[in-house]
Parts: sequence; structure tokens; C-alpha cells
Amino acid sequence: MITLTAPAHGDEFSAPTPDELFNLPPIIAGVDWFTKPVLLAILSAILVIGVCWGAFSKPKLVPRGLQNVVEYGYMFVRDQVARPFLGKDSDRFMGLLVTMFFLVLVWNLMGVVPFIQFPVASHIAFPAVLAISVYVLKIYLGVKYQGAGGYFKNMMFPPGLPKPIYLLLSPIEFLSNMIIAPFTHMVRLFANMFAGHMLLAFFSMVGFWFLFEKLTPLGAGVGVLGVVMTIIFTGFEIFIQFLQAFLFAMLASMYIGGSLHAEH
Amino acid sequence: MSVLAEVSGNVTAIGYGLAAIGPGIGVGIIFGQGVQAIARQPEAYGLIRQNMLLGFVLTEALALIGLVAPFLFANL
Amino acid sequence: MSAQERRPEEDGRDFADAMWSIPSSLLAGMAIYGGLGWLLDRWLDMSAFFPIGTVLGLVLAGYLAYRKFSR
Repeated sequence: MITLTAPAHGDEFSAPTPDELFNLPPIIAGVDWFTKPVLLAILSAILVIGVCWGAFSKPKLVPRGLQNVVEYGYMFVRDQVARPFLGKDSDRFMGLLVTMFFLVLVWNLMGVVPFIQFPVASHIAFPAVLAISVYVLKIYLGVKYQGAGGYFKNMMFPPGLPKPIYLLLSPIEFLSNMIIAPFTHMVRLFANMFAGHMLLAFFSMVGFWFLFEKLTPLGAGVGVLGVVMTIIFTGFEIFIQFLQAFLFAMLASMYIGGSLHAEH
Repeated sequence: MSVLAEVSGNVTAIGYGLAAIGPGIGVGIIFGQGVQAIARQPEAYGLIRQNMLLGFVLTEALALIGLVAPFLFANL
Repeated sequence: MSAQERRPEEDGRDFADAMWSIPSSLLAGMAIYGGLGWLLDRWLDMSAFFPIGTVLGLVLAGYLAYRKFSR
């Protein structure tokens, strides 16, 4: 927070702008691309790989220690994310879904850890890469299991509608499945993390400004309110981060499941 | 008449914000009552689901019209 | 017994399918028919087809959602 109030905000309170919150300078001067989000992305990848390796590299039938803990996460992903949509084929895609869920969860949680405080998914490149890779996988699996023509035919012409309506409704189905689905997949995660980060920064700024920068008797009440709201909102934000990670993995599993067997 | 108060910037954002109040409450009521109905009579789940989704579609349509209203009314 | 286990999963999946596909098909309908209406406007130099197309797309997408999910 010290670096946020160092630029001259002047005498009046002004909310933190997206530019100063998200446009972060490179850490090593000269290496332009190595900014804080990149460092956090690398760190979270190492963290997820390290935990999963430590837990599952020598699996025992009766789990102990780290394997026991991480197995809870695995079972959560299998029962809530994979099984409802993939059914019998869920074992094939468990690697992808567990990785996605844990990675997005660690990305999001970085937003509330003290001193780190930057949700990696609030730069749109990171959710975009995951969403595009799921999109490519969806099309590849659909063409492989239902044939190139069959995949699009099953998607655009769901059975049970009168024939003339097909002409009007097939562009809607096509656009909705092919274009809007990956776009909302990516934007949902990005917008939630972006908005949550901005709100947290705003409330913290209110608390800091009115209590430390310009302490006035009337303003102290607003400052205390800002601090209380920050605490409450951090709790809410942790819930939202977990929910968004779960939703991202669930939608990925839904899209994959929809292209494995024809939707009815 | 002198100007007492002025809103500058994008007024359409305020318009959408106000337009999202109604559908938000509507969707909440639909699904709240739907969940209660399922809890009272779980055998009727299929029937309740159909009607819940129908109500949701109609309410969501209003929210989406609010989203494109600035473009719809720009030239009229 | 396996039919009983399968039923809640199927219901959950159908419901989740509906929840995400309904708003996206509403948006898609609005975009397509609104876009067609806008192109028609530019061709005929009128300004009325864009709102008509948008609302028509919304109604069609609503009808599609209704037919697809009330089975």
C-alpha cells in the first residue's frame, strides 16, 4: 500500500485507477517481460507441480501424509467436476481437470495472500490461454468421436424440433457453442478476479487514507468502515475465488463431455 | 434555469445498472421458489425444472435487452 | 439401483447444461438477428430493422431454449 500512496494523489481522496493496479513494472530492470504477474504464474506452477509430485509420485494403497490431503482434492474434482459430465470417461481427463482446478485455485488465492496480493487471472492472457486450449480440445474431440460433419450436425440440429425452425435456429446454436462459449469461459474468470481486486484495493485505500494519511475526526469513522469492509470483503473474495476455480474446471469438463457423446 | 447537478461520463452504464435490478430480483424469486417447491415434493422435479427454466428465459431476456438498449435507442 | 444413482447425476448435468446454454443462446440470437437487421438497415438506409432484429432474435432464442429443455 505504501507504493500506492506514494504517487501524488493530492489533497483529496481518489480511488486507485486500473492502470496503477494492473500495469506493473518489470522486476529486473531491462528484462521487460518479467513482471510480477509472470513471477507469480511461475511460482504457482512450481507450487502445484511440487505438491502433486510429492503426493502422488509414490502412491500407497493406504494413503498417509501429503497423499491423504491431496487425495481429498482429487476426489472433489472427480466427484463434482468430472463424473457428472464425463461419466465413464472421466478417468482419461482427470489429469487435465485436476491440473486446471488446482492451478486456477492457486492463481486466484494469490490475490489475498499478504505481500503477494495479485490474482494472476486478472490479466486476461492467463485465462485466455486455458480457455483457448480447452476450445481446441473440444473441437478436436468432437471431430474425432462424431465425425467432422456429424459433430456440427449434432450441434446445430438438436432432434425434436419441427423442420422449418431448423433454418432459423441453427445459426444461433452455432454461434452460441462455437464463439460465445469459449469467450464467456475466459471472461467469467477474468472479470471476477479483476473486479474483486479493484474492490479490495478500493476498500483498502479508503481505510488507509482516512486513518493514516489524513486523520480527521470525521474521517476516522469512514476509515474504520473501510477497514471492516476490507476484512469482510476478503472473506467473500476467498469464497468467490474458490467458486470461480470450480466453475472454470466444471465448464471445461462440460464442454469436453459435450463433444465426446452427442448432446441430446 | 441554472444547472444544479450534472452527470458526466457514460450515462448508459447507469442505465444498465438500473435495468439489472428488476431481472436480478426476478431470477432470485424464481429459483428461490423453485428450490422450495422441489424440497416439498421431490417427485415433481421434472415439471418444476421446466417451469423454472421457462421463467428464467423470459426474465433474462429483459436483462439482455437492457444491455443493448443504448445501441437500440441511439438512432431512434 | 444403478438407475437411481444415475438419475441425480443426469439431472444435475441437464440443469447445468441449461443454466449456461440459455443466456449464451439468448445473446447469440440477439447478436445474429440484430446483426442481420443492422446490415439490412445499412442497405436500405433505414433505422428500424436493428431493434426489430434484436428482439426477434431474442424471441427465437427463447423459443429454442423452451423447446430444448422442456422435454
